[in-house]
This record gives sequence, structure tokens and C-alpha cells, in this order.
Amino acid sequence: MLKRKKLKKNKLLRFNIYHRLNLLYWMLRIPWPVYLLMRLFRPLYERKENFLNKRWRYGLLTFGGGLTPPAEMKAMRMGAKALRDSMKGAVKAEKKGEHVVWVEWILNAEILEAFDVASFNTETLNIFGNTYGEEYPPMLIAEAEAQGVPVENCSAVKLSVGSYMMNQIPDPTLIIASSHPCDSSITIYQTLEYLTGAPTFSFDTPYWKDDDSYAYFEENMWNCISFLEEHIEKKIDWGKLKEVLDRVNEINHYLGEVCEMNRAIPCPGTMISLLFSWVIREVAIRSPQAVDMARGLYDVTRRRFEKGIGTVKDERIRIIMWFPPIGFFTYIFKWLEHEFGAVVVADFVGHISTVHIDTSEPETMVRDLAKSQMHLGMGRQCHGPVEFLTEELGRLIEDYSADCVLFMGHNGCKHGWAALKIVKDYLKERNMPTLYLNLDIMDNRHTSEEELREQIRTFFVSNGWA
Amino acid sequence: MNIIEQFKEIAAADFNPLLSRAKDEGRKIMGYFCAYIPEEVIHAAGFIPYRMRTAGTRGTLKGDVYFASLNCTFVRHCFDKALNNDFDFLDGIIFMNGCDHTRRMYDNWRHADLDPSFRFMFVAPHMINSSAENRLEAEIKKLITAMEEHYGFSFSRERLRASIELYNRRRDLLGQIDQLRKADPLPIRGSEFFAIIQALTALPVEESIELLEKAIDFLKNRNVSVPSEVRVFIAAGCVEEISHLELIESSGGAIVGDNICLGSRYFDLQVDRKEEPVRALALRYLNHVSCPRMMNDFRRRIDFIKKQISERKIEAIIAEKLKFCDLWGGELFIYRREFKEAGTPLLPLELELYSGSTGQIKTRLQAFFEQVRNRHEISDELIRTAGSNYRFSED
Repeated sequence: MLKRKKLKKNKLLRFNIYHRLNLLYWMLRIPWPVYLLMRLFRPLYERKENFLNKRWRYGLLTFGGGLTPPAEMKAMRMGAKALRDSMKGAVKAEKKGEHVVWVEWILNAEILEAFDVASFNTETLNIFGNTYGEEYPPMLIAEAEAQGVPVENCSAVKLSVGSYMMNQIPDPTLIIASSHPCDSSITIYQTLEYLTGAPTFSFDTPYWKDDDSYAYFEENMWNCISFLEEHIEKKIDWGKLKEVLDRVNEINHYLGEVCEMNRAIPCPGTMISLLFSWVIREVAIRSPQAVDMARGLYDVTRRRFEKGIGTVKDERIRIIMWFPPIGFFTYIFKWLEHEFGAVVVADFVGHISTVHIDTSEPETMVRDLAKSQMHLGMGRQCHGPVEFLTEELGRLIEDYSADCVLFMGHNGCKHGWAALKIVKDYLKERNMPTLYLNLDIMDNRHTSEEELREQIRTFFVSNGWA
Repeated sequence: MNIIEQFKEIAAADFNPLLSRAKDEGRKIMGYFCAYIPEEVIHAAGFIPYRMRTAGTRGTLKGDVYFASLNCTFVRHCFDKALNNDFDFLDGIIFMNGCDHTRRMYDNWRHADLDPSFRFMFVAPHMINSSAENRLEAEIKKLITAMEEHYGFSFSRERLRASIELYNRRRDLLGQIDQLRKADPLPIRGSEFFAIIQALTALPVEESIELLEKAIDFLKNRNVSVPSEVRVFIAAGCVEEISHLELIESSGGAIVGDNICLGSRYFDLQVDRKEEPVRALALRYLNHVSCPRMMNDFRRRIDFIKKQISERKIEAIIAEKLKFCDLWGGELFIYRREFKEAGTPLLPLELELYSGSTGQIKTRLQAFFEQVRNRHEISDELIRTAGSNYRFSED
């Protein structure tokens, strides 16, 4: 039976802000010793969580467990600052009684920069809950379920309800939600609106990606601006919006280049960096440090690319990881690289496929910002026909010279399960060895890290790669 | 066989003699999936609108090849029927982005390359506001253009106006029957009412109006009340099994109000005759009693139930969802909290179509009705919590 731990208000968030991200930011000023220490002590925390490494393991492994080179860690340092500042801003705003705007996870919070109010990604603790111990995200999920949230809803959004119910995230004054990527989002944000009583704006995501659909989503964006102006009682600051969107363009440029370079054999980048960037995008896109981080990752990858060096010395397997990434096992990328010489060259959310935002006029900014929101990872593949899933997958297989696919069969993705036969046939036609995992990306009670390791290991062995 | 029994017979099958006759006369049939697709447009284009269903299912053996066990039984049964060629009488089919399960029906249908060749994805907004009204209007026009291009005919606005008249008449007649459900004693059982609507969605509208008029005559001075039964509201999405509704009734409930797809949602609101017809259709279909897929309307849905409770002397709510339905799962969460506060007993049921678990459901229903009958004040125990698979122990 899962134990319900009593936690002080925002305990998990504060732990991340003041203990982990803060520490990381300061320590990584001198990345080499940190790298060496992480590497040296890896046997103590790599295999399993125990009472000694409980508060450290997830954070250390996410940062590569001593397998991520110092230069890359230095870039991630800026990401840690962006995350810390963003979370801190929301916690402080709540304390001061100022606006805290929740933003659903497959939308970004750029627009809120133009209103100078704190934004908070409602699903933050899906990742950052783990830093306090691996049982905490399942505990938040179980809290929501015990209160009557349907068990079959996606755990990523169930956890948001649990976080709110257990006072682990700042209370919202406004909520911005959307009808993508799935029904769980549609229903949970109604639940959250009901529970919090916060005025909510929902983006109505179109099914197609054609001119009419983009125009409709743009209209939604204008409606969102009106909603914010009305409730924040402040006019939008176009100058500030331009500033943040110029930075977003820069981030997209750097990360897009990293994705392009990852096509090289051997692959010069590691997917955890792009995944980490996705988390920054979700939680702290407004921060100037997000650009520093993207630039840092670009520089590291470029150096390796120009020298023809891979992220692993002996690259043996090139993997496309398809469908949502595993929240509780972020170490999977480094583990694959270290154990099998297997590199995830592209994935579902870290791969950048967006549009440049024309910041010359307010109209162009809103138009392109809307379009870019429809192209965010997970959102862009999930809101429409199955071709949005398969065609991008097919392109990645070709472009990245993939050897195999790891398909993350997340329990919450009903539309994904309903399309599985099509995906399977698609991959079979291409003779692409694929491991179909059955898991819950945020809840290790379903399939544990150890079980996942075992299944992947067996898959590689059966294909003669290990 | 009386008129109600005739409706029930039609509802229990996937094809019926009236459709067969129409088909023999050269009329075409268009399948469609959801309460947001305007039947009037289909009718004005010369088709008989046919709501896709699972009646006559032989199981999910083939359907399960395409849909997973985490998908709802509606799509698994319905697609199984499609793979068994049970819908080979269709001349076209209109899918909808109703939910994550049904929207993949469009993909799987194309992947399996099943007939008919006209397969249109109708995209309905998830919001109710002026932008969404314009969007739905544009989508209806897109559907018209797609049908014109595929079938090579020119769509007539006059025919559309005529179709709107027919469907308004049909909604009006259904509304008249619905009003009878307020009465005590009751002239019609809830299961009979839903069987009528289910049958109507597989009948040519012209004939159905005649049948409805007969039904209204038949219901005059009829009394089907059972002593001490509990007047209930049923909240649900896809309720296709009339036998399940009969089970509720035989366990002691009288269904006198609802917000189900083939219930109030089907006949709520008329299409405004004064408005431009396509615009009027968009307004009607977007603003009828909504389904939980509409993100900004849960308060209006709650108010609708509360109004029915007060107008129809409703004593309890039965709120149902199909297993793995995210949308109705979330809706039930809100209902449980809201009606606990309002002091209305609520029984959430999680079902699978054609699961055969009637014994278990009957026991729950009987216990619930007994509690409602015996209650003097609302207790926590009466507000059931579905989905509470996890129980915490305090530290």
C-alpha cells in the first residue's frame, strides 16, 4: 500500500528550487570536479534508489551520472538557473498574492512575458517530483485517483490534480489550457478549473495543419490575449513580447541545428540534452538563460560534429524513441549509450520542428506564435490524423539512419493505442526492428525502471546487438 | 406489436425494413458518428443519415486487431462490425473528432481500406464561443463541398431549409414526448424513449415523423409507473444497450431525465429558421446540451441537470461512463463533488458495452435505490467513489 506523506506547502517545489537547482547552478561553475565526483560515486546511486541516495539519485542521473561531459553540463547549468528562477518566481508571486498563471504542458508561456506575470507549468512535478524520491510522483497520482480522478486518465495530468490537492504547486489565479494533445488534457483542465475556481482560457486546437486551422488557432491566440488583458487588467506589452519571441527564435535556431547535426554518424549529441531543453521550454521558456543553455549545447555539439566525434566512442545502435518520454527514467539515454553504445538520435518531444516567428509586427508575432504552439513536441503529432504520427516517424527513420525504434506505449495515450496497428504496419513495411513497450511514463508502479532495462536489453540481444 | 415495440425492434438492430425499402428505392445512406454532425446537411444532400452503432455486434475479435484493450468497447465493437461488412449498406461515412477513441476510427477505417469510399473527417470545435461558431459554420460548408465534389451534385439551400423544417418537426415531436416524462404517473419508460431516439437515427426522417405522431397518440392516457420507484436522471455519453436501461428500471428506477447523446442532446434546441441555414445549423449544433468534450461548458451542463432535477422531481442521478473514457471520467469527478454538495444521491457506474455483467450492476442498482428510498439525509456513503483503486494510509 502506498504511503501518503504529509508535505508542507510547495515542499517538493521548494526542494528543487533551493536545494537541487540552486546547488547545481553554483556547483557547475566548476564542472570538472562535479563531473569527476558524479562519475566516481556512480556505483552508489546508479542501480537503485535507497535511503542513502534517495534525495540525490534522480537529479544526478538526469545530469548524466558522470557520463555527460563537463562542457555539456556547463550548458545545462544555465538551464538549471532558468528552471530555478521560473519556479521561484511562481512561488514568490503566490506568496505576495500576485498573479500565478498555470500553463498546460503542451503550451509554452511566452505570451505571459508580455504581461509580466508569473507563469507555472502545471505538470512540473512529473519530472521534479522525482528529485525528492521516486515514490513522490506516484503518490501525487494516487492522491488524485483516491479523490476520484479516473484511473485511466493520463498520469501526467492526474499528477497535476494530485499536486494541487496536496498543496505542492502554487495556486493559480488564471489557467491557460488546450484541447491537445489528448482527452485527458481536455477533461483534467475542466477538473482543475472546477477545483481551483480560477478563470480558464482554453485553446481549441484544430485537427488539421492547413491555412484554415492555423488561422483558427491564431484567432484563439488573440482571444487568449483579450482574456489575459481582461483578467490581469493590463494591456499586452508588445515590446516585451518581441523580446521573448526573439529569444525563442534563437533557442529554436540553436536546438534545430543540434537536431540537424545529430543526423551525422556517429551522432554528436545526446538526447538527454534535447529532452532537458524541452523541459526548459515547458517550464522556463521566458528566461534569458534558456538561450544561453541552447547556445551552450549547440557549441558542444558543433565541436564534436566538426571533429567527427560521437557522443559515445563506439556507436553501435541508432534509436528513434517514439511517443512520450519516460519521466521517472531520464537516465535511460545515458544508460543506453554507456551500456550498449546505443544512441537515441531523435525522439518525440526533443526534436525541433517549428516555425520562425516574424517579430516585425504584433500581427505577425501572434500569427507565428500560434503556429509555433501547434508545432511543439507531442502537440504537433497528437492533435490530428495518424499521418502526423507516422510521417514524422518515417522521416526521422530515414534522416537519422535509425537502426531501430523504441515505442513508448504510454497507458494514458488512448489515441496512440488506437493507432498502434497502423504504426506497427508502418514500421513492419520498413523492416524496422521495434520494441513496443507497455508502460506509464510518469508512474513506475506500472513498469519499473528495472523492468524497462530488462526488456530493452532482451530486445538488443534478440537483434544481435548486445 | 404496438408502436413502441416497433421502435424497440428497430433500435435493437443495425439495419431495418424501412432502410431496406429506402435502399431498394435507390436512396443512399450516409453513416455518421456524433451529436455534433448536422443530419440536416446529410439529408439535404439526398442521403438518409445513419448514426453508427454497435447493435447486432458479434464481439470484438476483429476490432481488437486495430483497437487496443485500453480503447472503449464502443469503437471496438463498431469497428468489428465494419470489418465484418455489417455496414456494407452505407454509401458514405462521416467521422468526427469526438474523442481520442472515435477519431482514430477515421484512421483505422482508411488503413483497413473499408468501403464506402466517401470518408469525411468532420472537425467540431471543443469550445463554445463566437470563434467556434464561425469555425463550425465553415466546417459544415466544407462537408457540403466535399459531398458535392465526391457525388457530383449541386447542393441546394432550399433543400437544406426543407430538411431543417423536417428535423425541427422531429425534434419538436421528441420534445413533446420528453415533456411527458415530467408527468407522474409516467406514460413512457425511459428505456422506451431512448429506444425511440435510437431507432430514429436509423430511419428516413419522413417516415419517422409519421411514426412519432403515432407514438404520441399511443402514449395518451398511458400509465407505466411502478409503485415506489425512484425518479432518476441518467448522465452518460454512449448508451446504446436498451437492455441496460431496462435493467435500471427493473431494479426500481424510473428514468425521467437525461443528458445522453441519444437523449436530450439529440433533440435539444431547434434550428433557427430566420437565420441563414448553415449558420443556423452551426449555432444549434454547437449550443445544444453539450458533451464533456466541450471544454468551457461544464457549468452549463451542471445547471442543466439541476434544472431537470427541480422540474422533474428527480430523486437521484445515475452517472455512467464506458471504461477508458477519459472525458466522461472527468465529468463524473465533477458531478460527484457537485451533487454531494447539492445533496443529490449519485451512483457512478463504469460499464463496458455487451459485457454481460448484469448481475453485478443489478445488485449495485438495487442497493442504491433502496438507500435512496430509505434516506432521510444525505450521507457520504451514498456518494460512491468510482475509480478509487488506491487507498491511502496516513503516516
